[in-house]
Amino acid sequence: MFGYILRRLAVAVPTLLLLIVFSFLLMHLAPGGPFTQERALPPQVLANLNAKYGLDDPLWRQIWNYVVGVVVHFDFGPSFVYPDRTVNQLIAAGFPVTLTYGGLAFLIAVVVGVGLGVVAAIRHNSWLDYLAVGISIGAQVLPNFVMAPILVLLFTLTWGLLPGGGWSWGDPKFWIMPVIALSTSYMASIARITRSSMLEVLGSNHIRTARAKGLPEHKVILRHALRPAMLPVISYLGPAFVSMITGSVVVDIYFSTGGIGKAFVDSALNRDYAVMMGVTILVGALTILFNLVVDILYAWIDPKIRY
Amino acid sequence: MVIEYDKMRSLADRLAQEEVRGRSPWADARRRFFRNKAAMAGLFILICVTLFALLGNYVAVWNNQDLDFSVMGQVRELGRPSLTNGHYFGTDDLGRDLFARTVQGTQISMMVGIVGAGIAMIIGTLYGATAGYVGGRTDQIMMRTVDILMSIPYMFVLILLLVMFGRSMSMLFLGIGLISWLDMSRIVRGQTLSLKNREFIEAARATGVPAWKIILRHIVPNLLGVVAVYATLLVPLMILTESFISFLGLGVQEPLTSWGALISEGAGTMNYGTLWQLAFPLFFFVITLFGFFFVGDGLRDALDPKDR
Repeated sequence: MFGYILRRLAVAVPTLLLLIVFSFLLMHLAPGGPFTQERALPPQVLANLNAKYGLDDPLWRQIWNYVVGVVVHFDFGPSFVYPDRTVNQLIAAGFPVTLTYGGLAFLIAVVVGVGLGVVAAIRHNSWLDYLAVGISIGAQVLPNFVMAPILVLLFTLTWGLLPGGGWSWGDPKFWIMPVIALSTSYMASIARITRSSMLEVLGSNHIRTARAKGLPEHKVILRHALRPAMLPVISYLGPAFVSMITGSVVVDIYFSTGGIGKAFVDSALNRDYAVMMGVTILVGALTILFNLVVDILYAWIDPKIRY
Repeated sequence: MVIEYDKMRSLADRLAQEEVRGRSPWADARRRFFRNKAAMAGLFILICVTLFALLGNYVAVWNNQDLDFSVMGQVRELGRPSLTNGHYFGTDDLGRDLFARTVQGTQISMMVGIVGAGIAMIIGTLYGATAGYVGGRTDQIMMRTVDILMSIPYMFVLILLLVMFGRSMSMLFLGIGLISWLDMSRIVRGQTLSLKNREFIEAARATGVPAWKIILRHIVPNLLGVVAVYATLLVPLMILTESFISFLGLGVQEPLTSWGALISEGAGTMNYGTLWQLAFPLFFFVITLFGFFFVGDGLRDALDPKDR
């Protein structure tokens, strides 16, 4: 097991370094520098700015400094647009918010999705099953940026139950819509995957044996069916995590929750390369870390995996 | 009741004939596909949406750029959908005809979806088939690269690309196509591995056909079933990606528009009571996604009946 984790890490670390170097090169290749404006700056000012941000160094040194800064000091450097703020400060302001509603959304998607899928599979071809299938088909075409306006329309504009945006740490009322908007379509996918893999497992020989030896049904389900049925779900968690992080950008913009996505889109609109790269790398690191956890979880649940 | 023997005989003959003629796997698949009600409904929806995109401009009274000065400032009262003033879907917040805008948005979203899926299909098929056919260390390196690329949050990289190299349609096509071939290449590689030891490939190799020709002439045609199914399911994903980016205002730029941009505009103005600005683009977006998903699922079930 330990060797397996090490080997996974041996892939994960270069991937992250590659991502850092790649996004840096992208920035370097882009036409115009970060200080290109409609009215050209005087050459002396531009030279001074470049010197201040180290953009006049040779390329390899710039990359080296950036990589060392990110990896060793967790320092993404200063923002190009707001000289008094660093990328770290911008990320530190938004990240806890994103993590809170994102984590909740992820948890709900997994718990409710798996529950719905299992119930649908146990009560195969009953109204519960049809309801679960119906929900999961419907939710497929309701991505977060469609859910968000619909939720606001219903809960804020029509019924006036929930605040239409903003964030407050103390008041969970502000959390409800972001979490629902973010989790719905993934919950549906997880339910669909759970249902079909559960149906397959329930038809297999070891379940018949378990039933034949007289185990109560809940034990058959919980102890013998759930574990193998979880494997496809676990391998879906990696992609789902990536899409949910991406979706958090929409939530941040639409509900003004002030998470990390807001910083990202703002920086994209005013070409603040440093912030964009910082967020991209942070998200990439999270993704790689999460995939690592998923791989380990998978190997732990499925004894057939060779590691 | 008199039984008409002649008719019965001809029916029996016909049935027997059909039995004798046999059915190819493709004919079988086609039959299963046309029996699948959801898939047929999906196909019908897609045909309607395509007709709407192609012919909508001939029906529209207004074009998609002109402002209707008579409704300006009173969009909530005068900009409602109505048949009398020619704004079938109402107007947007600036007084532009929403029908014409929706037609344009449909054209662009469908185009991004189809072209993006097309690029992904070509790159993914060639990459996967090459990796699978060549095998060995080349395969290892090529697929490891795919693994690495897959663990990158591509939406962020795509936005990075769009911002750094300018937000143009061609960049959007390229970016969306370039990031979506990864899954395709994996599927194609797996399929190629099972094909490459078959006799007809061996025969081709024995007669000295060069590797690239074997891949293009003998392997790729045999992959078409899988590729077609996956491409059909890829189109709605491409549409989702494009709409997501346009919703954030980072995709298609004015005066062009797309479903995502229209939904974003509609969502922004809905608390002024102009709900139709959200409803019409959203309706087309949702039914098209349904259509593609149903057709894709139907194709998969038709080509792979044992999975049910």
